[in-house]
This record gives sequence, structure tokens and C-alpha cells, in this order.
Amino acid sequence: MNILLRLQELFSPLGHLASYILAYIFESLFLVIFVTISLIVMIYVFRKYMARVQQRIGPNRVGKFGLLQLIADALKLVGKENILPKNRDDLPYKLAPAMVFVSLVLAFTILPYGDFFYLGSFTVTHSEVTIILLFGIIAIMPIGEVLAGISSANKYALLGALRAVAKDVSFEIPMMLSVLAIVMMASARTPSSLSLESIISSEFLPYGILEPIGLFVFFISMVARASYTPFDLGESDSELVSGHSTEYSGMRFGMFYMGMFGSIFLGSLIVSILYLGGPSGPLESSLGFIWLIIKAAILVLISFTVWLSMPRIRIDKFINFGWKYLIPIAMINLILAGIITLGWGL
Amino acid sequence: MVMPSSDWVELNFGPQHPSMHGVLRLKAKLDGEIVKEIEPVIGYLHRNAEKICEMTYFNDNLIYFDRMDYVGAMNMEVGYLEAAEKLLDISISERVKWIRVIMAELSRIAAHLVWAGAYGLDLGMLTPFFHCFIEREKILTIFTEVSGSRQEVNYMCVGGVYQDITEKAINEIEDFVREFPKRLKDIFNMLMKNDIFLSRTKGIGILDKETAISYGVTGPMLRASGVEYDVRKAEPYLVYDQVNFDIPVSYKGDNLARVLVRFEEMRQSLKIVEQAVKKIPDGPYFNPKAKKSLMIRMRGEGDVYARTESSKGEFGVYIVGDGGVKPYRVRVRSPTLRNLSVLPELAKDVMIADMIAISGTLDLVFGEIDR
Repeated sequence: MNILLRLQELFSPLGHLASYILAYIFESLFLVIFVTISLIVMIYVFRKYMARVQQRIGPNRVGKFGLLQLIADALKLVGKENILPKNRDDLPYKLAPAMVFVSLVLAFTILPYGDFFYLGSFTVTHSEVTIILLFGIIAIMPIGEVLAGISSANKYALLGALRAVAKDVSFEIPMMLSVLAIVMMASARTPSSLSLESIISSEFLPYGILEPIGLFVFFISMVARASYTPFDLGESDSELVSGHSTEYSGMRFGMFYMGMFGSIFLGSLIVSILYLGGPSGPLESSLGFIWLIIKAAILVLISFTVWLSMPRIRIDKFINFGWKYLIPIAMINLILAGIITLGWGL
Repeated sequence: MVMPSSDWVELNFGPQHPSMHGVLRLKAKLDGEIVKEIEPVIGYLHRNAEKICEMTYFNDNLIYFDRMDYVGAMNMEVGYLEAAEKLLDISISERVKWIRVIMAELSRIAAHLVWAGAYGLDLGMLTPFFHCFIEREKILTIFTEVSGSRQEVNYMCVGGVYQDITEKAINEIEDFVREFPKRLKDIFNMLMKNDIFLSRTKGIGILDKETAISYGVTGPMLRASGVEYDVRKAEPYLVYDQVNFDIPVSYKGDNLARVLVRFEEMRQSLKIVEQAVKKIPDGPYFNPKAKKSLMIRMRGEGDVYARTESSKGEFGVYIVGDGGVKPYRVRVRSPTLRNLSVLPELAKDVMIADMIAISGTLDLVFGEIDR
């Protein structure tokens, strides 16, 4: 039973069309609230976890256990003055943070969350090619970073944008290659192998067990995409001050900040959907959403641990790593996936 | 394709920059990601300390020395007093010598811990910073116990120390000596067992022996380039000839060598503190000849130069007295300034990330460079 149908039932006294429209509006609100709450929880958990790792206490003054600290910080960001650089390229400068944040929220609409919390009633998510749509949308985010870098008339930001371009090219190819392996394997069992839902429903073992190499490549690509510490080359705060977001302040900076945390969560969700079985779990299917969140939360904590214990890799070493190791490994993975697919087809 | 030099991008790192250790400004010429030339610009923290010293009584000058290498203030005090006591012809008791050795070595550990944490930050590692500062805080607690102040301690004075070292302080030092090796090992492993850290330091920024000597580089940087030179051994002051310790030397001269030498120095300093706490004799903590009420009337004539080993290198103080109650001239040989001067040699044709990694190993403290 998904939320949309329940809402439609609830609003049914108002007539068919009105109930349909209202249900859509409420479902969109649910989505925005879900993304916002998950971001707030994530940043709170990150700050507490970071404090534990660094033998500190973390936020504990605003609200009980510092729970309201994030809201206070968000209010501070909203209240801050938006300082605009004088020689900026106005439209891209203002568009860039929105591109990062909007594409992030948009990507959340496409994911299958299981039956209980099923947002699949948006027209686009009925599509048979959700996997292409998903990776198309998340490919917009790096463009926002590059635009921010080249439009803010700052040399640090420009260098950050150049690094972001070099980085994106070297991780997106292995990422898509490992996704291709999954699509190939799913095609042996389902006709609509480009749809995230049928990929999940057609698997008899999570793909992470069938092809651990693909999981490894994909997870590393997701780390690079979310750009936190071993691969935060676009920002690299000790070298390029703040990289592409150097000239941003106030809520525009906040969008980049939330974009990064959102990407970690989104990346963890995608990894758990593609490789760890997503909403499927040992108990009944209505708990699917909870299984998905638990899997994603574990991946998020792994990401935080990586973030807090690693220094930054040098840009040329990362590009070497991407082209000389990740892509060949992804190719080998593709061959293995082909063998598995043939085995299934027989 | 090689770009002509006119196409290089000029970029200022600093004075306000997250990894410039205060207010260093590096004028860098970049060819894409490659640093072609850099020129350090200093002077943003200049406070005229040497000139102010000419207007103050001999004993009162100590506070300006505290604020030179502010992360290792006790070493600065030892350096100044070595010169001032020679000029004023005031002897100190054995107990004072041992107390000063303990404090100087604790201060060296604190300074190296600050460096280790900040170096982690330079490479993008957040966590070691806090672990280092927690340990440093324990040393600062000891300083608070003996002097009443954490960082700018002003603990020593001409003829002795401001107040005797208490039983509680001795206990705290013994606790620290017992617990620190394990914590140091944790911090060391946090950095050294990380492949990315090794790839950022191994073979990067190689400083050979001849260049190091010709630029006047001293301290851990010189020892990492294979020169076994330490003022504590070469020309022992205080009671360094009565304690047993080694000088760590590495022959590689790269970033990693400098990291390893500094970590080993912390262990050796701890060894000195351990011995000194046991050997500390009874005696007066203050020479009555330099009684507090007479301090402002102390007169010195002639000129003296004293050198000591601070946490950054050879720290020299030159004082000229004209028989008055104030020094005629004070001049400081800052080790960090010489160490900084070699940076344009090291950071030539390297990537931006390596330039930051190299400048991190110089252990810059701007209070001392700009004075």
C-alpha cells in the first residue's frame, strides 16, 4: 500500500481530480520533508560521530543533546549577508548552488523506497529507464560545481573547478561501467533491466555478493562523487581555501554544504539499492523502507569513518588511480558479469 | 607543451589562508597545477620585539621572548636567559638547571605536537589534530601548575625560576611520562599506517645536505637531511651533558624524514624528562644575588651570544650591554626564518598540494620569524 493511494482515499470525498492533485502535492511535500530531515539527521550524526572520533563531545548546548544546533546553524546561514564578488558572471554564479541542490532533491524522487514509502507515483518514476534517469540527474551536480568555480572570478575557485572536471571524468566512467554490469546481469532475468525496481525484484542474491569488485569500484566512485576527504579535490580546504565554493556565503554556501552531505546519503542509498538488495530484507516487505535506511545508514557511517581518517590524495595520483586502476578493474568486472549472465541464461 | 613564463598565473597564498601557519604569504607562479616559482613574503606579524627589548629591564624582556615561539615558550626563555645571565654574571643553582631542562623538553614536546596536528590538517586529515592537542593540553596543565599560565608562561627569571616546582607538578609530570608513549604511538600510527599519508610525504621535497647547510637550516630539518648537529650535544648548556639521549638523524631529507625525526625527537625529549625528574636535586630555586627587589637594578656590560636548541632549530640570542639597567641591543637568530628561506628551493616545479605539504614540514611559527 503506497502513500499516494492512501492519500487519494483520504481525499476521495473531494472528487477525483481534486483528490489526485492534493495527493500529489502532499506526496511532494513528503519528499521534501524526507530529504530535509535526513540531511539534518545526517549532519547531526556526523558532528557527533566526528566529535567521538576526535575525543570531543560535540554539540551539546542548543536543545537536548544539541539536537537544535543544526537548526540554529541553518538559521544563521539564512540570516547571513550574501556577499557577491564584483567581477562574477552573474547568472551562472547564482544558478550553480541551485543546480547542485535541486538535482540532489530530484534524484531522491526516482529511488525505490519499498512498498510502505513508495514515491513511485510520480509519472517519471513509472518509466522503464529509471537507472538512466537517475545517473543523468546526478551528473548535473558536478556541472554546478564547475559553473560555481568558473563564474566567481577567483583563482582558487577556478583551480577548484579545473580539479573538479578532471576528477569527474576519471570516476564517472568506472561508475557507469559497474552499473552496466548490473544492468547486464539483470537483463538475464527481467525484460525491463533498466528500471531500478525490476533490478531489485529480479535478484535472487544481492549483486554485491555476486560481484564484489563492482561494489568496490562503485563505492569508491560514490566517495569521489560526494567529494569528501580522500577525494575532496574540488574543495581541498588546505590548498585552495575552499575551492569552487570559496566566494559563496550565506545560504548559497549552505546549498553546497547540504549538497555534499546529501550526496553522501544519496550515494549510500544508491549503493544499497543496486548492490545490497535495497528494500528487500529477511522480514515482511512492508518493512522495506526501514531495511533500506538501515543499509544506507551503515554505508554512511563507513563513509564518515573514511572521511575522518584519511588525508587528501593528490590530484594527479587520483587521476592515475581512476584511469589506470578503476577503469581496468571495472572492465574485468564487466567480463565477469557477462560470464554470470551467460550462466543464468542457459 | 611548455608554456612561456608570461602565461604563468600569479596567485597569492596567504596571508589569510587555512594552511599558511599564521601569516605567511607565498607569491606563487603557477602553470596549471604546477608551482613554478614561489617567493615567501614575511613581516605581517612584526611587533618590533627586539627594539622593545632595548627599552625594558633585563628581567622584563622575558615576556617578549615568550611571544616569539609561542608554542614552545619555555625554550625561548631558556635561550634568552642563557645570554642574559652570562651578561649579568649571575649563576644559577643545580636545581634550577634541572627544572629548566624539564620545562624546555616538555615545551619541545608540546611544540612538536602542535606541528604534528597542524601537518595532518595541511594534508586534509582532521582527526590527529585533536588527539595532538589533547596531549598538549596535559603539558599546558603542568605549565599552569608551575607558573600559573598556559602558553605565554613567563616562568623563568634571571637567576632562577619564578617559583619552585611543586610536588603536584612533579606528580603530573610523572603521570605524563608514563602515559604519553602509548598516546604518541597512537598518533604516530594514525599518520604512518596510512598509504595516502606516505604517498604525500615519501620522496617529496628532498632537501640535500649541502643545500641545507648553505641556507643555514638547523634543527629537525637539518637532522632529517643527514647532518648530526644538535646544540644540546655540540655545545651542551644547562645539564644536557648529564642526561642520556640520542639525536635522531635521517639521511633521506624528504617530508617523511622530517616527520619521523620530529616524532623521534618527542620520544627522546620524553626520555630526558624521565631522567631529569629522577635526578632533580634539592637547592634554592632562585639566586639571592638577583633578588626580586633588585632585579630592575641589574646592570650588564659587554656583549654575549648564547645559542640553544629550540624546537625549531638553533636559537641564538645576542645581547649588548652598555652598563645600564637595560640592554643596549638585543638580536635574535631565528631558526625558522632560515628554515623558511629554503622553501623556494624545495617547492620548485611541484604541485600545489606538494607545496603545502612541504611548507608544513618546515614547522613555521610566525611569532618567531617576524618577531
